Parts: sequence; structure tokens; C-alpha cells
Amino acid sequence: MAHVVLKDLVKTYGSFKAVNEVSLTINDGEFVALVGPSGCGKTTTLNLVAGLTSATSGDIFIGDRVVNDLDPKDRDIAMVFQNYALYPQKSVYMNLAFPLQMRKLPKGEIDRKVREAARVLDMTQLLERKPRELSGGQQQRVALGRALVRDPAVFLMDEPLSNLDAKLRVQMRSEIKRFHQDLKATIIYVTHDQLEAVTMADRMAVMNGGYLQQYDSPAQVFAHPANMFVASFVGSPAMSLIPLEASMGNGGAVLTSAEGWSLELSPRNAQKVARATTKKVVLGARHSTIKLHKSAVPGAIPAKAYTVEPTGDVTFVQALLSGAIVNISVSPNIAVTPDEQIWLEFDQERMHLFDSETEMALEAN
Amino acid sequence: MSTVSETISRGQPARRLRIDGWRWGGRAFLVFMLLYTALPMIWMLLTSIKSGFAAMQFPPQWWPDQPTLASYQKLLDPQNSVGQDFLRFFWNSLIVSTATTILSVIVAVPAAYAFSRFTFPGRNFLFFAVLLRNMFPAVIFLVPLFILMRAIGLVNTHGSLVLTYLTFGLPLAIWLLKGFYDNIPVQLEQAARIDGATRFQAFILIVMPLSAPGIIATAIYSFIGAWNEYIYAYTFLSKNEQLTLPVGIQRFFSENTTDFPGLMAASFMMSVPVVVLFLLLQRYFVRALTEGAVKH
Amino acid sequence: MTIVSGKAEARRRLQPATSDVLRKMWEHRADYAYVLPAIAVMLIVIAYPIYYTIELSFFNTPPGLQLRDKIFVGFNNYTAILTSGVFWQVTFNTLIWTAASTFISFVLGFAAALALHRDFIGRGILRAILIIPWVISAVAASYIWKWIYHSDFGIIGAVLVELGWATRPPNFIDSVSTVLPSLIVVNIWREFPFAMIMMTAGLQTVPEQLLRAAKVDGANAWQRFWHVTFPHLRNVSTVTILLLAVANFNSFIIPWIMTGGGPSNASHIWITHIYELAFGRQRWGVASAYSVLLFIILMTLGYFYVRALSGNERKDGSA
Ligand SMILES: Nc1ncnc2c1ncn2[C@@H]1O[C@H](COP(=O)(O)OP(=O)(O)OP(=O)(O)O)[C@@H](O)[C@H]1O
Ligand SMILES: [Mg+2]
Repeated sequence: MAHVVLKDLVKTYGSFKAVNEVSLTINDGEFVALVGPSGCGKTTTLNLVAGLTSATSGDIFIGDRVVNDLDPKDRDIAMVFQNYALYPQKSVYMNLAFPLQMRKLPKGEIDRKVREAARVLDMTQLLERKPRELSGGQQQRVALGRALVRDPAVFLMDEPLSNLDAKLRVQMRSEIKRFHQDLKATIIYVTHDQLEAVTMADRMAVMNGGYLQQYDSPAQVFAHPANMFVASFVGSPAMSLIPLEASMGNGGAVLTSAEGWSLELSPRNAQKVARATTKKVVLGARHSTIKLHKSAVPGAIPAKAYTVEPTGDVTFVQALLSGAIVNISVSPNIAVTPDEQIWLEFDQERMHLFDSETEMALEAN
Repeated sequence: MSTVSETISRGQPARRLRIDGWRWGGRAFLVFMLLYTALPMIWMLLTSIKSGFAAMQFPPQWWPDQPTLASYQKLLDPQNSVGQDFLRFFWNSLIVSTATTILSVIVAVPAAYAFSRFTFPGRNFLFFAVLLRNMFPAVIFLVPLFILMRAIGLVNTHGSLVLTYLTFGLPLAIWLLKGFYDNIPVQLEQAARIDGATRFQAFILIVMPLSAPGIIATAIYSFIGAWNEYIYAYTFLSKNEQLTLPVGIQRFFSENTTDFPGLMAASFMMSVPVVVLFLLLQRYFVRALTEGAVKH
Repeated sequence: MTIVSGKAEARRRLQPATSDVLRKMWEHRADYAYVLPAIAVMLIVIAYPIYYTIELSFFNTPPGLQLRDKIFVGFNNYTAILTSGVFWQVTFNTLIWTAASTFISFVLGFAAALALHRDFIGRGILRAILIIPWVISAVAASYIWKWIYHSDFGIIGAVLVELGWATRPPNFIDSVSTVLPSLIVVNIWREFPFAMIMMTAGLQTVPEQLLRAAKVDGANAWQRFWHVTFPHLRNVSTVTILLLAVANFNSFIIPWIMTGGGPSNASHIWITHIYELAFGRQRWGVASAYSVLLFIILMTLGYFYVRALSGNERKDGSA
């Protein structure tokens, strides 16, 4: 196992920057998830680490070696592809054996390792089949097995679960996690599903438009999103972002909506707002930090329920506030009907404030 | 499916009838096409087993009164001069066609692969330039090529034919194979390279086997094209011992204009190798077209 | 790809743009090695002949003269061609030959592919038999049909006489009025299997689901064909028709061997005419001028040909 360092990595296609000055350090044995919306450069980053594309500038270290100019085969990595990339003409056995054959291992050892991997992944009875005779989940396992047989320094996984159905995905998620714990493997795991990242990774790197947005543990990313993009990307349903106008006065601060209502801020939040470069700030609140009242309460803001989605254990209510859609979760025994008048109370301790110009999170000292 | 069509056609016997009409029309059409295709070939075979005298009768002997294999014996007998010539032409055709086929594959495979995978500047232009070759008839190039071949000393050699035949096969071969490579996910090669293969190994071990139908189709196409080519062989070769079958037969029978049984026997023999080859491998051909060229 | 970078490129100044292309070419230098053999062969066999043909079309080469002693005559060869009566006759023949062969071959091939699409016993054998004429050499085909059309002992003539439809065997290929249609029949015999193969391959890519959906929606066989199958095959059809048209326009062997262009030019088409001018009458200059004209026509056709062949290329390129 080895650590991986990306330093000021840039990849351009023509004049388009797919990866922009990305720097990351992945520790030995760490599970890092690379998340971001489609087209943000995750696969490109992974391909750079794998050596499948060459970087325009910047350095890549695996272990203590600079691997910029090494062929993929010399980088000591294994990769699991989004569509599995199983060799269609080879049996499962031959698919697993291929990486070992390429490394010229003796036949007996290849056989031993292939059967061992097959045993671990519980697919000994599938060894003679061709990939097209396997279900999606089984193909996924073979792809994982092909990475596993080799004991590489780093595992790269590009959306390995995205082609599976929801139930299988949950199951494979825990299998990969256990696999990581057992092997203490260094894993870089690409996904556009933030839930996968949050549940599996030691740290997550959030990307957007080729830029690294935030790199921290899932808990930190969740609790302290660095900017509005991360705030809206991580968490489901998404954090509600409400654009407001700040006005300062005698040590306190008040957020005023164009709709006429206003919200007095706690001293700590007032401090944050004071650091903004503009008067226009954005209030961010997750669904669970907003309290819904069915009658007027001091400090609560009047709103109209828009849609109501019961899911069983919680009911999600959406309301329109200052032109933004606000998500609130309430207990299912509180009956809300669309168009009903409601009052929303924000938790000052757990609310987020953003500068609308820079889109960065505002922090107190 | 059957339940659906039943629901639809219930109470509408007219529609049933019309569907049957289509089917019977199709059958009648196929019978017509079968006759159109097969009768000339059957007549060729029947004539080839007649004697020269029996062939020249009016009304014709619909079925040979005294079938004879004399024409075939004459063509295949290495003792007489006709047989010697025919066998030599046959051998020449085989050499030229095989060489063309092998070279076509060697040249077309990497080119098609590059056109499919790489994004070098000028890729589209070069690809279209290659495709354009098919537009031009052999005759346009005949004079200058003849002069060129003379300049590089290839006139009256099989090399001149192989070189020109290559260019007939290449455009379609490259186009067909490119379609194949377009359909092979690039991730397969990437996986192979991560698994420890070099770029070349990834190509040979993973991509080549997957494009085998395309390569086989390309090979058949080149072989048949070379085997049947006439104009260049007719122009470039003048020595009798160099001739390929189509030219050789034409030369021979322009001197013996009335030996129709011999001519039909020779036509038949000339067709056997390519027809057999094609029939053996035709499923690859259709598959190659389906997977490579036609699919979008 | 040029389409993609077009806009961005325009914004930059020319200088960095050109050096950019050179740099890119240098970066991709290894890629060119793959296409080099193909391009080299093409260059030798295409580029040089084209250049030479254009040059020769401005010269006169009287018989007996060495080619290097040719005489410059400007556009004389071209005016000679365009004012000769043979030119228009040959052009007319070529049009009939190409249009009829292409259209009928395509229709027969497509119909055969459709009729063979539904599985039945013996389908494989029937399909194989129908393909054979495409595979055997045009030289053999020419002799077979020459024998069938023979004016004394031809089987068609004999059948017609036997049935009492004619008093004596007709002269199919020795008569000005019947020679061209007779040759077209031979050409179609050899060409329709190609259309059949292409359309068979095309039919196999028609999504079964769509046909089923149409059936559920109540479409009858003809409506399913017209609204689902046919639109799906438009691209293949275009390519097939173009390939057929090009092949027919360029055919040589069948008219050359069967009639040599006769009687009295009635079966001469452009290619056989050019060949005769060059190799029969040694009029290299005129033949070359013909070739240049042909070349111009083909380039126009070629534009559509390349567009059809690379139909999906373009969409990729701009994505
Ligand atoms: N070969 C290429 N040429 C030009 N642009 C490319 C190329 N490969 C990727 N891109 C562009 O780079 C950007 C990043 O692509 P990348 O594949 O890394 O996205 P991704 O984050 O993996 O997205 P997804 O979640 O959809 O897989 C995209 O906008 C893509 O269009
Ligand atoms: Mg991706």
C-alpha cells in the first residue's frame, strides 16, 4: 500500500480545462471519495492517476515515486471501471487471470490466486462463464476480483456501483467497505452519488467544474460546507439556500427579505455576516434544522406550504420563501396540506451563511 | 405477441388476408429471384458438361444427351498446354490474392484503429481522403500507374498488381474496421493496460480478438476483389506465364471463340474458390456489416 | 473536431493558433505511424496519377509518338470532347446504365432482404444462393451471359422460339436497341446481392422493441415497415445506393467483355470509352481530358458519398 499525492494537477482538452490545479493528499490505507456532478472532471482525475491520460501540468506521486511518465502497467494500481470493462471474449477465470498473466506469474500461482479471489468474492461456481452470462451484480464482483487478485498499491474505482439497482448497490457498498477495512487498502473512489461518498469514505473530495471545492471528512463537509456549491451538493434533500439582505445595527444584525419579513441573528451569526464583502448574503439551512409551526411563534417566519411528500418515517414539506424553495422535514403525525399557512423557525446554531458574491461560507473568528 | 395481433385483428378478416397477401407476394418474389440467380449458373454447369458439338445445336439440348467431363479434364491436365496454362493462371491468381489479402489486413487494421481511437490533427481529412479512393474508377489511374510501374520496374510483376489491389480494398476495409473499433469500449483497453499490458499487447490480446469478424470480412473482401480484378492485370501483365485467371481465360478464349463448354468449365473453376470461401465465411461478413458499418 | 475548436481558435490570434497545430501534431506524432502505410499507398496510387492525368489532358500525343514528346494544346482536348457527338451518346448511355442498374439492384436487393428477414426452412441456403453472383468474377459472369444471349445457340432465344413468341432467336447484344438493357440485366444480376447484404445487415439493427410497440399501437405490416423499419434504414440505404451508383458508374468489365462498347457505340459508357481512346486509339490526351471531367463529376458525387459514410462521425465531432 502507498499514499498518493496530486500536486497542482491540470488537464486541458484544447482550450477546455477538465481538471484545474487540483492538489490532494491521500494517506496510506485511506478511502477517499471523489464526488461531484457529471462532467466535473472526476474520471479525468482518476485517469490521470492511472496514467491513462497524461497531465498537462502538475505532478502525481504514488508512494514516493513521481509517476507522471510511467505507463499504467508500471504504476502498480488496479482499477474498477464504471461499466466493468470485463473482457467479453474471456471467461471469468481468464478475466481474473489476465493481470497475473501479464505480470508473468507461474501458472500454479495464477491458479491459486484466481481461486482464492473467487472464494473471497463467492463466485467459484461462476469461473467458467462468460461475462455476458452474468448478472450486473456478478459482473461487478468479477471487476472487483480482477482488481483484487493483484494486491496493488492503490485501488482506483470509477463509479463501480452506478449500474446496479438500489438494493444491490447498498449491499455492494458494505462489501467494498469491508474489503477496505480488511485489506487496509488505499482507495480512490469516484462517484456522483454523495450518499455513497458520505457512507463509505474516510475523506471526500468535492469537485465542480474541474476545481477541487473541499477536501475533508464527510462529517466536516456536512457540518461545515466551504461554499454554496458544496452546501447544496452534499446532503439530501439539498440544503435550502435563501438570498437575503443584511443590515447591521448596535452589535446585532438583521436579515431582511424582499418579501418584507426579517430575521434577527444571534451574535455569533451577526459576526459572520459582518465579514461579508456585500450586503447580500445567503442563508443556508438543512431540512432537519428548520422547525415547522402551524401557528405564529415569535421569531418564526410566515410561509405557505407548497408540496407535501410523505415518505413513511418523515414527511418532507416544501415551502416558497423569498423566491427560494425551502425543504423542511416534519414528523409524519403533523398533518400539513399544500397551500396551508405555516411558520418556519430557523436554528441559529446550525444555520449557514454565505457571501453571495464569493459564494464562500462566512465564518466567525 | 400472438395475443396482441389476435386482439387487433378480431372481426377484421380483411386484414388477415392482407398480411397473407404480403407473405405470398414475398414467396413469389423469392422464387423469381431464385430463378433469375440460379438459372444462368445452372446453364453454365450444363453447358460445361457437353461436348463442343452438343453445345452448338438448335434447339439446344436442355439436358446433355451424353454428359462428359472432357472440358474439366482438359483444364486440369498438367500434360497438355491448355491445362498447363490454366493451372499456372490459377496459381498466379492465388499468389496475388493471398498477398493482397495479407497486406490489406496489415495496413488496414492499424489505420482503422488510429482513425477510431486517436485524435491527431488532420484525422478527419485523412479518413475522408482514404474513403474517396473508392470513388475513382480503375481506368483513370491506368495510364499514369502504368508509367509509374514502369519507372519503378514493376511492370510484368505481380508486385504491381498487389500494390494497386491494396488500394481498392483499403477504403472499405478501413471504414468497416473503424466502425468495429468505435463499438469496442475504450475502457477495455484501459483495463488491460492497468492490468499490466502495454498498448500493443492491449491491442493484440483484447481488441484484435473482438474485431475478428471485421478482420475476416476485410480479408474476404480483399481476396475476392483481387481474385476477380481484370483491368490492371489486363494492362500491366503481358507475359503469358504471369497472367491471372480472368485475363488468362479471356486471352485463351478470344483465340478459341467457339469452345463454349471449355469457357463455361473455366468460368466455373474460376468461381469455385471465391464462392466456397465466401459461403464458409459469409456469416462473418453480415455480422461485420451489422456491427461495424451499419450500426449507429 | 475542427468544428469544436473553431470558435475558441478564432478568438486567439493566428500566430499561436498555427504553432498550436504544429505542437499538437508533434504530440501526436506516434499516432501518425498507424495510418502512414495506408496513406503512403494511397498517395502513390492516387495523388500521383491524378496529377499526371491533369497534366496530360492539356497535351496531344499523336500515335507513334513517345509520351515524353507530347505537344501542348491547351484546352483543345476538352473542346474536342464537348463538341463530339459520341460524347453525348456515351453520356446518355452512362446515365441510363448507372440509374437503371442502381435503382433496380437496390429495389430487388432490399425486397429480397425483407422477404428473407422472416425465418423459414431453407432461408440460409436461399440467401447463400442469391449472394453467389456477387462473388463470382465479372469476367465469368460476362461469359456466362454472353453464352445465354448467344444469337444462334443462346438459351433465352431458344426458349422464346420454343414458346412460339419469336420465329427466330433475337439478337440481344448485337442489336443497337436491345444491347444496353441486356447488359443492364447482367449487371443487376451481379449487383443486387450487394444491396441485399447491406440491407440484411441494416434490418438486423432495427430494434425489435419498436416493432412490437408499433404492433401494440395497432400498426399493420405495411405501416410498421413505413413508420419504423424504413426510417431506421435511411442511413444504410443512402450508403448502399451511393456505393452502387459509384460502382455502376465505374463499371467496365461487363460491357467491355460482352460487347466492347458496340454495336456502333450503343453500349459504350464513359469508362469503356476512355479505355478505348487511350489503349485502343492511343489518344492519351483526349482520354486524360475525359478522365478529368469524370473526376470532377465524381468529386461532386464524392462529397455526398463521404457525407453519407461519415454521417455519425460528424455528430461525434461536434459533441
Ligand atoms: N477526450 C476528451 N476530449 C475532450 N473533452 C473531454 C475528454 N474527456 C473528457 N472531456 C471533458 O472533460 C470534462 C470532465 O470529464 P470527466 O469524464 O472527467 O467527467 P466526470 O466527472 O467523470 O463525469 P461523469 O460523472 O459524467 O462520469 C467533461 O466536460 C468532458 O466533456
Ligand atoms: Mg466519469
